[in-house]
Parts: sequence; structure tokens; C-alpha cells
Amino acid sequence: MKTPLIKIENLNHSFSDGTCGIRDICLCIDPEEFIILAGRNGSGKTTLIRHFNGLLHPSSGKITLNGNSIFKDINLARKKIGMIFQDADTQIVGDTVFDEVAFGLENLKIERQYITKKVMQVLKQLHLDHLKDRSPATLSGGEKRKLAIAGILVMEPDIILFDEPFSNLDYPGTLSILEILIDLHESGRTIIVAAHNMEAIIAHATRLIIMEDGRIKKDGPPKDLVKTLERFGIKEPCSSRLGFGIQPWQN
Amino acid sequence: MNKPNQLRMTVYAALFVALIAIGAFIHIPIGPIPIVLQNMFVLLAGIILGPVWGLACVAIYLFIGICGLPVFSGGHSGIGWILGPTGGYLIAYLPAVVATASISKILGQKFSGNVIAMVAGSVIIYALGVPWLKFAFSMTWTKAFAAGMYPFIIGDCVKVIAAAMIARMLKPVVTLQPQNKTA
Amino acid sequence: MAELTLFTYRKGDSLLHLLDVRCKFILLCLTSICIFKAHFSSVFLFIFVLIFFFINCRINLLKNLSGLAFFLLLLVLMFISRSVALPGDPVFTLFDISVTKQGMTDGALMVSRFFTIMMAGILFSITTRPASLKNAIQWLLKPVPFVPEKRVAVMVSLALTFLPLILRQANQVSDAQKARLGNLNKNPVKKIVRLSIPLLKKTFVSADNLAFAMEARCYDEDRTDPEFHLSGKEGLFFIGGLVLSACLVLY
Ligand SMILES: Nc1ncnc2c1ncn2[C@@H]1O[C@H](COP(=O)(O)OP(=O)(O)O)[C@@H](O)[C@H]1O
Ligand SMILES: [Mg+2]
Repeated sequence: MKTPLIKIENLNHSFSDGTCGIRDICLCIDPEEFIILAGRNGSGKTTLIRHFNGLLHPSSGKITLNGNSIFKDINLARKKIGMIFQDADTQIVGDTVFDEVAFGLENLKIERQYITKKVMQVLKQLHLDHLKDRSPATLSGGEKRKLAIAGILVMEPDIILFDEPFSNLDYPGTLSILEILIDLHESGRTIIVAAHNMEAIIAHATRLIIMEDGRIKKDGPPKDLVKTLERFGIKEPCSSRLGFGIQPWQN
Repeated sequence: MNKPNQLRMTVYAALFVALIAIGAFIHIPIGPIPIVLQNMFVLLAGIILGPVWGLACVAIYLFIGICGLPVFSGGHSGIGWILGPTGGYLIAYLPAVVATASISKILGQKFSGNVIAMVAGSVIIYALGVPWLKFAFSMTWTKAFAAGMYPFIIGDCVKVIAAAMIARMLKPVVTLQPQNKTA
Repeated sequence: MAELTLFTYRKGDSLLHLLDVRCKFILLCLTSICIFKAHFSSVFLFIFVLIFFFINCRINLLKNLSGLAFFLLLLVLMFISRSVALPGDPVFTLFDISVTKQGMTDGALMVSRFFTIMMAGILFSITTRPASLKNAIQWLLKPVPFVPEKRVAVMVSLALTFLPLILRQANQVSDAQKARLGNLNKNPVKKIVRLSIPLLKKTFVSADNLAFAMEARCYDEDRTDPEFHLSGKEGLFFIGGLVLSACLVLY
């Protein structure tokens, strides 16, 4: 049997003030999965995904990437596992769009020529190239979120974690982020989305994981679990509730 | 200091650079002379960041102002403003932040200790600012004190007490994590 | 308030816009120091040079003067106090205070020097992108011992991204307090605390988030060096700047 991409065994985390963030998480993630991590606010989604790239250290348990502990080469893990944070404003480091996207590569001490080429390529891919000299603070919410995605795409990650990617976005913003998510999945990347409202993405997911009180409660194909969502305080997508099953959100 | 904590201090110090810059623009209308919060943020930087990071933060603020970013009061910048009549107050932030941070540390970061530390810091600011003003305008000492210190004393007392309360409430928010826990 | 702190850099392609920042900055410092030795003739020469560049950048000098009201007031006060303070031939006497010729000359010289430095600084701010200024700072601090220039550059860049964020949060906090009639409070200490605590808590949470986001993108102080663009006219400007500085010191 081939080794899973990410393997998590008996993961626990308690914060310094004693709050228990996650308990006893066991999880295997294979390449090219599109996973939705669902759960109401405070159920531990953010805490869990912050363990994937070693931002939080587990109180007990371990996480492996391709069979090696992520702490063995933390920079490799962070390069391979990209993470988009929930708040678009407070993850932007650079003072121009170009610098912001270049930040990750500069940290890895890549030579300047390659950085310029790669950054321009990614900006074009996400249709942000006309904004390259703008200050990120002057961008719209959707553009900021796209910029954050560009900032991790330059590192060529295999796995991308999204923390509430649709919060505070208007309809066109949501659509454009959704399109990017689908493209990224089709290009062979593993996608993990933490969300408490999955209306927009559920039709594209291959797996749904439901969390409550820091534990994984359900894990399976979305069509089997969609009817149980409301039991965990998560809104069931409209089309399913109306009896049409899971329908793609855009048409 | 371990790496994640060093990064956190870098980010907090950068945050205080921005707060000090913005402090020059936040006016709170109290009495005849509006209070500007800049020196409060300088003293607070000392108490929360400690002497080394506090000094770094004030030095960077002054440096980016000298380099031409309009972060001094009224949107000014440049060597001209630092060497100008009110430049003494700005230069004085450097010793003031170190003194405040050190005294607060020695006195155990209690409420009363912080008040004493910040009063000392304020005294240093005037000890440099007022003579500078006097020589720039070649005015008498009485006039220099009347123009450059007396009108601000009440506001400063208010700010010192407010800053001590803020420092106490902010302590639980700004704590560095031990390395083995959530670093 | 936002307009004041959003740096007054303006897009353009004038001579000064294209000139390498390091060259511009060194010349600014050199002339700003030399001018304290200058007399009227060379100060006027400098002012003419500045006017040329203001026209070259298509900047309306008079419009900028209105923003300098407080600085100009200081200059007027400085002129008056100098004219009164210096002993010499009285020009006229009012209530036992005599305005002397020597005092007026000295005051006028002093005032014109400060005014010129201020104009040069404004020209620099208008033609220099904050991001490239940060790069120049890093380059200049490199030879200075005990100063971690890369960390300083990162801090400058972070401070620049925090400015608009804090301004937005400050507006939110003050709006929220107005909605709850919090501004009716007469106690000044409470007034400051009520305004600052929510603002500082918010900004520290943002800072924490930002630190996580930087870590997730492999933050390292040992980073790729910044890149500078030469316009090819740096040599010419250097010679011109040196000649001007010599004039300032000698005449
Ligand atoms: N830094 C922290 N310190 C203490 N408790 C925390 C911290 N961060 C999160 N928690 C707690 O951990 C639990 C899980 O939070 P989180 O992972 O953010 O949930 P979600 O992302 O699903 O909304 C919550 O009960 C929250 O209060
Ligand atoms: Mg969350």
C-alpha cells in the first residue's frame, strides 16, 4: 500500500491557558483530494490546520508528510503545504503587490532573476498583473484574497489549506475565488478548505470531514453526509435541503 | 530567544513604529489644548517591548522620518524637521524609551512602578525638548517653559495614568509563548 | 487623517523618479548638512535647483505650501525671535524691544535654510516609492556594525503595512463608541483608555496573525537582497550634488 500524502496520528493540542483545541485526531490525506473541513465556530478547524505546517506544536501525536515528520525539515513542509489565512488583511506583509508575492521566495533566498520571473507568471495566472505596483491596502476584499493565494502559489505547493476562504466576500469575489480553487484542484493539487458554510464549494469536494468540540465526528463522501450537517450546527446547502441533491453553485 | 519569539517581537516592534507614527495624528479634544497620543505610545513601547526592542522601535521611527516618510506630526519628514525647533522632543524619545523600560523592569512592572517609569520618561523628553526650543528661538528660559512645557503637563498626567492602565490590560494579550508549547 | 499618513509618493517618470534611491538619499543628506554652512547666495542657488526639479516633476509648489502651515508658522516665529534677540543696529523699537539689522539678517538666513531643507525633503518624498526607500535603508545600514539591516528592512515594511490597518481599526473603534454614546464620557483618562484598549487589542491580534502568516511562508532573516534600478544618470547627479554642496559650504 502506498504511503498517504499526510498522515496524522492521535493529535492533541491544549493552549497555554488550558483550553483544549483539538483531541485525538487521526487522519490520512491522499494526493488530489478536495476536502472540506466543516464545523461551527470554535470547533477546532483553525487549530487543526495550523498543525499541518507546524505553526502550532502538538501537545501529543505526530504529523508526517510523505512519511517524514514535518518538523524534520520545517521549511520543506511549509513550502509544500501552502496556507491561506482567514483574515485577508492581516496576512499581507509586503508594501506592494509584487513584493507581497515575492516574500516567500525571498525567505528561501532564491536568486532575484528567478523571483521576478516566477512572480510575474503567478500574477498573470491570477489576473493580478495590472496591480503589481499597487499598495495591497488599496485592493478590494476579493483582490486581497487572490493576492494571498498568489503569495503561496509562487512557492509551488502540493497541498493548499484555506481557512474560511469565502468569509466577508461579495458574490463576484466568492465566484472568482471558487474558480481559482477548482482550477488548482484540476491542476493536480490537494485542497483542504476549512469552512462553516459550504454552499459554494460542496459540489466540487471529494470528501467531507465534520468536526465538533475538537474531534472528528464524521468523515466520508459529501453526498452521504450532507443530510447530517445540520445536526452539527452547520447550514445544509439549499439545493440539498430542497431535495435536488448537491448542485454546483455556478452554472 | 528562539526563532518564533524573535519574529513575534519584530512584528510587535513594527506595530509600535506604526502606532507612534499614527499617534502624532490622533487628537483627543480635552480642555483647551488637544492631547496628542504620540508620546504615550513611545512610553508604552518601552513598557511593553523592554529597553532593547523599545529603543529599536523609536530609532526606526525617527530613521524612516529622517529618510523622508512623512511620519512626524503634521505629515512632516526629513532632517530639517529633526534639526528644527521642535526636534529636541523627537530626539529625546530615544533616551526616554530606554529609561522608561529600564525603570519599569527594575520596579517589577507594577502599576505604580510603571507610572514612576513613565513620569521619568516624560521628564527626559522635556529636559531635551525645552532647551532645544530655547536655543532655536533664542528665547528666555521662562518663555521656553511657558511655550514648550506648562501647557502640556496636565495632558501628560492624564496620558501617564491612562498608559499605566492600558499596560495592565494589555499584558495578557502580549505574552510570548514558551518554546515547547504553541510557539 | 488617512491622506496625511498615506505617503505622499506620486507616480511619475521625471528625472528624480527614475534616479536610483540610494543616490537620491545620499545627495539629500549631504546637501541638508552642508546647507548649515551656507550663505544667501548659495541658498538661493539651491532653491533654484529645487524649483527646476519641482517643475520637472510637474508638482505645484504653492499647493504643497498650504500643507506646511504649521512649519511656516514656526519659521515666522523663528525669524521674529532671532530679529529681536541679536544685539546690533536697531531698525525700529517697540515697547523697549528693538529689532536689529543683524538679527533680521541672521533670522532670514536661518529661516531660508530650514525652508530649503524642507522643500528638498518634500521633493524626495514625492518622488520615492516607500518600498524602494526601504531597500535603500537596508543597503545603507549594511556597513553599520551591530545593526541587523535585514530585520530593520522587514520592520519598516511591516510598519508600512500596519499604518492603513490601524487607521481602519481606529475608525471602526471610534464609530462603535459613538454608536454606544461612549464619547459622552467626561473623564479624560477613561476617554483615552476606552479608545485605546479595543484598538490595541485588535491590532495586537492582527500582529499575532501576521507573525503566523510570515512563519507559514518560511520567514527567515537571511533573505534575497533587494534589487536597484539605475537610470544611468547617477554619475551626473553625483557630480552635480558635490558641486552644489561645495558651493553651499564655500559661499
Ligand atoms: N490562542 C488561543 N488560546 C486559547 N484558546 C484558543 C486559542 N485559539 C483558539 N482557542 C480555542 O480553541 C477552540 C478552537 O478554536 P478554532 O480552532 O479557532 O475554531 P474554528 O476555527 O473551528 O472556529 C475554541 O474553543 C477557541 O476558543
Ligand atoms: Mg477558524
